[in-house]
Amino acid sequence: MAEPLSHRPEHGAHASHVPRYLAVWIALLVFTFGTWGISRFHLPGVAGVAVALAIAIAKGALVALFFMHLYDQPGPNRLVFATSLVFVALLISLTLLDYATRFPLTNPPGSQGAIPASDYAPAPNDTTR
Amino acid sequence: MPAETTYLAHHFASLEKQTYAARLGMWLFLATEVLLFTALFAGYGVYRFLFREAFAESSRHLQTWIGLVNTLILVTSSFTVAMGVDRAGKGDGKGAWRFFLVSFLFGAAFMVFKAIEYTHHFHVGELPGRFYTNEEVQLVGAPIFMALYFLITGLHGIHVLVGMTVLLVIGLRARAGAYAAEYSVPVELAGLYWHLVDLIWIFVFPLIYLV
Repeated sequence: MAEPLSHRPEHGAHASHVPRYLAVWIALLVFTFGTWGISRFHLPGVAGVAVALAIAIAKGALVALFFMHLYDQPGPNRLVFATSLVFVALLISLTLLDYATRFPLTNPPGSQGAIPASDYAPAPNDTTR
Repeated sequence: MPAETTYLAHHFASLEKQTYAARLGMWLFLATEVLLFTALFAGYGVYRFLFREAFAESSRHLQTWIGLVNTLILVTSSFTVAMGVDRAGKGDGKGAWRFFLVSFLFGAAFMVFKAIEYTHHFHVGELPGRFYTNEEVQLVGAPIFMALYFLITGLHGIHVLVGMTVLLVIGLRARAGAYAAEYSVPVELAGLYWHLVDLIWIFVFPLIYLV
């Protein structure tokens, strides 16, 4: 009765995942040192964030596809994970767009473009905070 | 004993369907975990946008080497978990246990570095809100950075502890011969959870420590 399982690609007796796992692990180590090394140059503006995020996405894709076997999962499992990623993109991008397009003075004092915070530190005798 | 009679719950038509349902359920759970952390990352994004200088300066005062070492530890533990799941899929419960134990120890090492790091933050006053007393970084927004830092790494740390427990329990069950080559889906799902913990840290490391 266990016959159908043996036909599953991830349970094939002859298909060894070990070389693939090793390759992914080494790639993850290289990427980790890579992103750390690049960060030491302090790339200007958004370039630093973009490069770091690109490397993180590459590493995440390696983990999700090969360690988590998303590449040989049936459709619904992939769809569930892909849907969560769509909402990640929506939540972060729309929230940031909101703040990025606001009239600066509506942002908290001391932040980019807003009025400076005159005295952010609480006074020594201020017991209301 | 045939795998169908040993492992199949009565409300499933076949072991294959049961395995399928278990995997789908786990992926649904992992999707909610991703969204849980996304809320924190969105908060991080907003305050990083608003207080760019303070976030850059606060990030520079973190011990980057601890973040780097912890990333290497987690990535390696993910590899050993994948190897353990592979062993379990071949019916080698003892091999799965050995790989899961190594992964558990990597998780413990991660938490030790985390403890060293947190102790340092407490000593120099890099704390959220009004508890922030660090003299070196006096910028508006620095306490917010520390608040998000503790929320994100703290929640992730809790996940590491949960993951370590799962690895230990499932690893011990595998050693006791609870699973077989035809049915190792609990080992697989335990592995998935640990990979997700690794996946989240892969994004925490560059965002908190590097950029």
